[in-house]
Amino acid sequence: MKILMVCGNGLGSSFACQMTVEGVLKELGVKADLDHCDLSSARSMKADLILSGKNFESQFKNLAIETPQIFLDRLVDKNEIREKLTPFLKEKGLI
Amino acid sequence: MEGIVLNEKNVRLNVKAETWEEAIRIGGQLLVDNGCAKPSYVDGIIRSVKEYGPYIIISKGFAIPHTRPEDGAVKIGFSLITLDKPVYFDGDEEPVKVMICFAATDSKTHLDILKMIVEFVEKGYIEPISSMHTLAELHALVDSE
Repeated sequence: MKILMVCGNGLGSSFACQMTVEGVLKELGVKADLDHCDLSSARSMKADLILSGKNFESQFKNLAIETPQIFLDRLVDKNEIREKLTPFLKEKGLI
Repeated sequence: MEGIVLNEKNVRLNVKAETWEEAIRIGGQLLVDNGCAKPSYVDGIIRSVKEYGPYIIISKGFAIPHTRPEDGAVKIGFSLITLDKPVYFDGDEEPVKVMICFAATDSKTHLDILKMIVEFVEKGYIEPISSMHTLAELHALVDSE
């Protein structure tokens, strides 16, 4: 399973988000491949799930990417990430 | 936090700024003064916020202004500023009190700075940092482990 964090420049907010996701997954005992990139690269990256900021939601609609997407209010909020990630992980049978 | 030094060159506490743009210019200028970025990098940060919205606010009251290396990053580095009066960004209801601006030369090697950023959030440091007055107070908190 691969999770991709996406933000405008692909090196700050998405990277910080990746670190927080890493912590959450560790707590949940889930192993996943994590990476981060910018919005324009997101289309060509293969992933099972994309995590990004709410302000990018409309831009993602325009990109028409088929990968499931989760949008966050705050990219480094462990509780929000855990809450929003859990249903997806359950659906995938990972927890 | 290895490789991370907070000193009088990269920290400014209780900075006066009326707008988010002004605040970013102050934090960004520290990057320029410390040889981490060209002035064009600071313009790039502001352009990036205007283009993508305030996604640099990664946690309550805390923003990490940055942009692409090609906008004028020279070497890896950061600055930390706190605002005397919090500043609002368009599209976000909560004002920002603490900013860590950083320059990165690619998408991975500034790992130490990002680690510090995430650690500050996860340890709940942002709120206490926002009301500090001296660098010594900051060191007392950050070096306490």
